[in-house]
Amino acid sequence: MSSLFAIIIGILIAAGVFLLLSRTIVRVVIGLSFISYGIHLLILTVAGLNQSSPPLLTLPGPYADPLPQSLILTSIVIGFATTALLLTVALRAYQVAGHHDVEAFGDNLARGAHGKGERADPEHQSPDAPEWTENVSELRASTSVPPISTPGEQP
Amino acid sequence: MNEAGILVSSLPLAPLLAPLAAGLLCLLPARRHLRVGAALIATLLTCIFSALLVAATADGSVLVSQLGGWQAPFGIVLTADRLSAYMSLLGGIVGLFTVWMMAVSPDPVREKYHAFALTLFLITGVELSFLTGDLFNLFVAFEVMLVASYALSVLGSTREQLREGFRYIVMNLAASSLLVVTCGLTYGVLGTLNYAHLAQRSLELGPTPSVAVLGVLLMIVFAAKGALFPLGFWLPGTYPALPQATSAFFAAILTKVGVYALIRILTTVFQLDSSLPQQFLLILGAFSMLFGALGALSQREWRRVLSFTVMGSVGYLAFGLGIGTPEALRAALMYVAVSVLSTLALFLIAAVAERVSGTSLTRNRRGFIEHLPLLAACFLLCALTASGTPPTAGFIGKYALIRAGILQGSPLAWVAVVSALLASLITLYAMLTVWRDFFWGKANRQQPLFPVSLSQRLPAYTASALVLGLPFIAGPLFAHAQATMLELRDQQHYIRSVLGKDPVVIPEPPTGTDVQKKEAPKSAPQEGESH
Repeated sequence: MSSLFAIIIGILIAAGVFLLLSRTIVRVVIGLSFISYGIHLLILTVAGLNQSSPPLLTLPGPYADPLPQSLILTSIVIGFATTALLLTVALRAYQVAGHHDVEAFGDNLARGAHGKGERADPEHQSPDAPEWTENVSELRASTSVPPISTPGEQP
Repeated sequence: MNEAGILVSSLPLAPLLAPLAAGLLCLLPARRHLRVGAALIATLLTCIFSALLVAATADGSVLVSQLGGWQAPFGIVLTADRLSAYMSLLGGIVGLFTVWMMAVSPDPVREKYHAFALTLFLITGVELSFLTGDLFNLFVAFEVMLVASYALSVLGSTREQLREGFRYIVMNLAASSLLVVTCGLTYGVLGTLNYAHLAQRSLELGPTPSVAVLGVLLMIVFAAKGALFPLGFWLPGTYPALPQATSAFFAAILTKVGVYALIRILTTVFQLDSSLPQQFLLILGAFSMLFGALGALSQREWRRVLSFTVMGSVGYLAFGLGIGTPEALRAALMYVAVSVLSTLALFLIAAVAERVSGTSLTRNRRGFIEHLPLLAACFLLCALTASGTPPTAGFIGKYALIRAGILQGSPLAWVAVVSALLASLITLYAMLTVWRDFFWGKANRQQPLFPVSLSQRLPAYTASALVLGLPFIAGPLFAHAQATMLELRDQQHYIRSVLGKDPVVIPEPPTGTDVQKKEAPKSAPQEGESH
């Protein structure tokens, strides 16, 4: 029983890590969900799988340990909230970047040291040249309050 | 229990209930000054309660508050010893400055979407992670803190924020998953999650490889939360994308939560098996110090430079923990305060500098010393503190750390000592580059100047005054760190305070037959009636 669970947990977490390494935003989110499913099964397995121990006080027998189940329940609730939040952020990022590839996000640390428009590493531009030049002009023009678009308005 | 006893035992709850209540109040539709007032009062109360905790734990007592009245290993406890109270006070101070900064820099859009409430929830999460006495509850506290920080990091939806926020959220969710796994495995190996009970059981087992593995796993998780070298790649991009006041809180406290958890795990909980994780920490710390210093040198924007110095300062703390001697632990505990306050002051100064120059760049804007001489002085003081030059508190902390490293004398410690000295020098150079580019020289009359009112500059000045005051209280601070160190190394004291003097008796698992016997006469007539 435990070895079967171990294999299932391994497959779930491997699939999760594989998806997490993807560059598509939605796959990253699904990958994280897979990892958390694997973890829930792992907690259940670590606490001991025993078919003969009932979880209810009305049945006879040595009872199943309720603590791992409450840990899993807490973890599910938290995972639910964070997945919802991450999906919202992913949707918003997709709307703003106009692309579902994380590459389109670009990398601010690659900006040149002098901040005048050159890149730190001009030989390795990312394929779809992110909006970094625009960002610099934005930075130069920006006053104390950074530009904000409210969630309601479309870019 | 008499009334005073109840009050004292519920004191560990107070620093997190105040911001939680105010955060809920801030969700109600209200005028701005009411929200600001609630937030300021709540953070001030947090500071006062934390200071009371520091006073109450100064004699070495450990305050324990059992939630729901359940006895220690069975229910969740909040505990406050010297370390928790100290960190909680630092968190309260940074929270107060953050809310102050938010109050004087209105941001209508973010405030409409509950920036105040989210900041207060963030403070709640931070205080809960400092005061909890249970490993799984630490995970819950981290999530409370991180969910608020995720929301704050993308609030406003600028491109940069979304990009960096997404990276930050994914990285932290992955680290949290590892924390849940480790909680599950810990429960599987030791059968408990309460810190004191974990400590007791690992003491009974003696040095055990499987417990050492748990220690290493926890070390990886907290290294990711504390942004140590290979796991902290998200930090220098995320913090500059945030609004100024929020980034000050993130930079000053969030990484230190990871450091606090490391101290707690490596000393109170798994002290016997801490040598393996400590060696890893020493290596990571040596890399982080150099990485932070070189990164700071490579950047030309205010908060990017400072974000890299945050990574560097976490590296110094990891170095202190990794050495593992009592002197090193004492030095690291003292350096936490220096690092938190100097980072806070530097980020508040950066906020003013960004406002007054209208750009986040440090280059091509010379001569601000003419307009803001006091700000220039504050920056120089904090820059010298961050790089560890005498006569600042940074020097005192780093001197103690490096002295402990040399006294320990293992080859790895020597490598880390060289790295620490080199990193200090590079940090000094990076900070002085900022100073020369921004403050020094003749002012360029063509560049526009944006007015910054005194009320907006005051938080930066006050925080710098705290940094200035640190060397003068270095003696008492070291004495407190010494007492904290001794308390942390005495696991039995913590175990006795939380679990009581009697050994913990785990009741026999009920077999169910007696329950059936008891319930049978009651349930039988009911069944009869229903049929």
